[in-house]
Amino acid sequence: MTNPMPAPEVEYSDPLDDTRERDDAMPREASSIELKGLRKQFGKDMVALDGVDLTIEAGEFFTLLGPSGCGKTTLLRILAGLEDPDDGKLLIGGKDVTDIPPHRRSVNTVFQSYALFPHLSVRDNLAFGLRMRGESVAERQRKVAEVAEFIQLGSLVERRVDQLSGGQRQRIALARALVCEPNVLLLDEPLSALDAGLRGQLQVELQRIQKRLGMTFVFVTHDQDEAMVMSDRIAVLDSGIIQQVGTPSEVYEHPVNAFVARFMGHDNLFAIQRSADNWVDTDLGRLQLDAAQQRAEQQGWLLIRPETLELGGEVPPGYNRLEGIVKERLYRGSRIEYRLEINGVNLMVVTSNLGQRLHAVGDKVTVSVCPEDLVRVAA
Amino acid sequence: MKKRTLQRGLSTFWWVTIVFLYLPLLVVMLFSFNASNSAANFTGFSLRWYERLLGNEQIISAFWNSLVLAIVSSVMALVIGCLIGYGMYRHRHRKLGWLIVLIYLPIVLPDIVFGISEMAFFVSIHRHTGLLQPGLGTMIIAHVTFQIPFVALIVYSRLVGLDATLFEAAKDLYATPFKRAVHFLMPTLKPALISAFFLSFTLSIDDFVISFFTAGPESATLPIYIWGAIKKGVSPEINAIATLMIGAVAIAAVLSLMFNRKGRY
Repeated sequence: MTNPMPAPEVEYSDPLDDTRERDDAMPREASSIELKGLRKQFGKDMVALDGVDLTIEAGEFFTLLGPSGCGKTTLLRILAGLEDPDDGKLLIGGKDVTDIPPHRRSVNTVFQSYALFPHLSVRDNLAFGLRMRGESVAERQRKVAEVAEFIQLGSLVERRVDQLSGGQRQRIALARALVCEPNVLLLDEPLSALDAGLRGQLQVELQRIQKRLGMTFVFVTHDQDEAMVMSDRIAVLDSGIIQQVGTPSEVYEHPVNAFVARFMGHDNLFAIQRSADNWVDTDLGRLQLDAAQQRAEQQGWLLIRPETLELGGEVPPGYNRLEGIVKERLYRGSRIEYRLEINGVNLMVVTSNLGQRLHAVGDKVTVSVCPEDLVRVAA
Repeated sequence: MKKRTLQRGLSTFWWVTIVFLYLPLLVVMLFSFNASNSAANFTGFSLRWYERLLGNEQIISAFWNSLVLAIVSSVMALVIGCLIGYGMYRHRHRKLGWLIVLIYLPIVLPDIVFGISEMAFFVSIHRHTGLLQPGLGTMIIAHVTFQIPFVALIVYSRLVGLDATLFEAAKDLYATPFKRAVHFLMPTLKPALISAFFLSFTLSIDDFVISFFTAGPESATLPIYIWGAIKKGVSPEINAIATLMIGAVAIAAVLSLMFNRKGRY
């Protein structure tokens, strides 16, 4: 059988554009989710979830973030009902659904592989959930037409599944879940198979769709940038345990431990050797801290975000001052990254490219940082 | 130079193989239209042997036996084999080594061993219970048993080729177990099932050895009739039956291939 060239992507247009009629027929009823002490183990010693307590608000864009094998996909599958927890409770919209099978939950999933039915046309794929729920033909037609317009599917509904490109399949998979008007929509790394450009575009679009529908979205990803761009709140998971829950800025700027800090992309972590009320000793030397960073424990890590460091110039009074040698310079266009060596340890510095003179490799430079920008992180 | 010799040798080998495979069939087909009953000289075109076939009650009865046997056994094998194939798929993560061997075994077992053991089995059951009188019934059971592995394997390989999340998508989209079977599993398996049906049909029409050992006095199929008739020498009538069977099997085989290929995309 010949495989025709994939058709070009549908032109993106703004679903928030208010000149378009707001179609209030789309779902409004969002549900909150409560997880209480969820545990899941595979085999004898593979603990996927180790007692997860979490509340997701109704209408929230919530992201489960973590490396592969952290338990985020297992958690999503438990929400969908595709996996049964060994222990604990799951409440959706205040109702205990722990023992409710997936086909009786008002929850729909956008799968990583899209999972479009190859034996059905795009239109029949979109109508599948409605048909299984026993809705009338007229109702099905109306809703499919509505969602096709909402997601801007255009003429795609007439195609066969094998005639679609990756991005188009992704949209159809999203539309197939949305058309069922679920109280909760689950998304399992739906953008991971797409190229960077399309991915960025769909990130924005997904977020806007979620805001417009006010539906509860639970999104799974291993990409911290994607999580930060899209989410209202993020839960960072590791080894089946939730490490931190917070808004993107909370998680990025104030990671609670070294794992979260590293996972959010921070390189400048320094072991604290000694500390007092307003200073810490690290390999970089003694650094002044804001009193708010005072901790009971002596040890832990000091996090310095590379964009808070000032390279060269005057050091304002009260600022920490460090001296190092430029070992590496990465020109990134809008910003310039330097790797400095100070007392034998590496310090990354990111500066905006404002046309200032660049430092060369081998230059001796002064770095300053405000005490308030230094963050203590637990081990 | 050497390479060209090798290529010419291979090409000759290919043509010799084809000739040995298909020339006898062509001769049979040609002589079924022979006007005289000579097996050596083709004297002219005629359909008289086909007319004679239609007048021969034994042949007509053998034809119906073959057809009923092939259709009934194929349908039964389809249902049972489909369930086994699905079961193999559902439990593919367990260690099923010995079970798979049991399912494959009839494919590699010599027909004669299979036929004799089935016969002995049916006869002893009949002696003790009076059930399973040798006849079309016992033949159907015997045919179903050797068709099942083929059906199961076709269904299994189709399921293994599917994206496993499709099953989950169906659950997620409100399909109850029954609706999943009707609206997802059956349509998805349809090409594989049609293909398996025609393969079973072909195997059944084809079979002589197992049929021979499990048949009763009234249930001779076409191959059994031919075997009996041939003792008196090859008549042009036999050529005509053979030609019809080649045609039927070829059509079934092509249909089987067509539907199996369709299912891949």
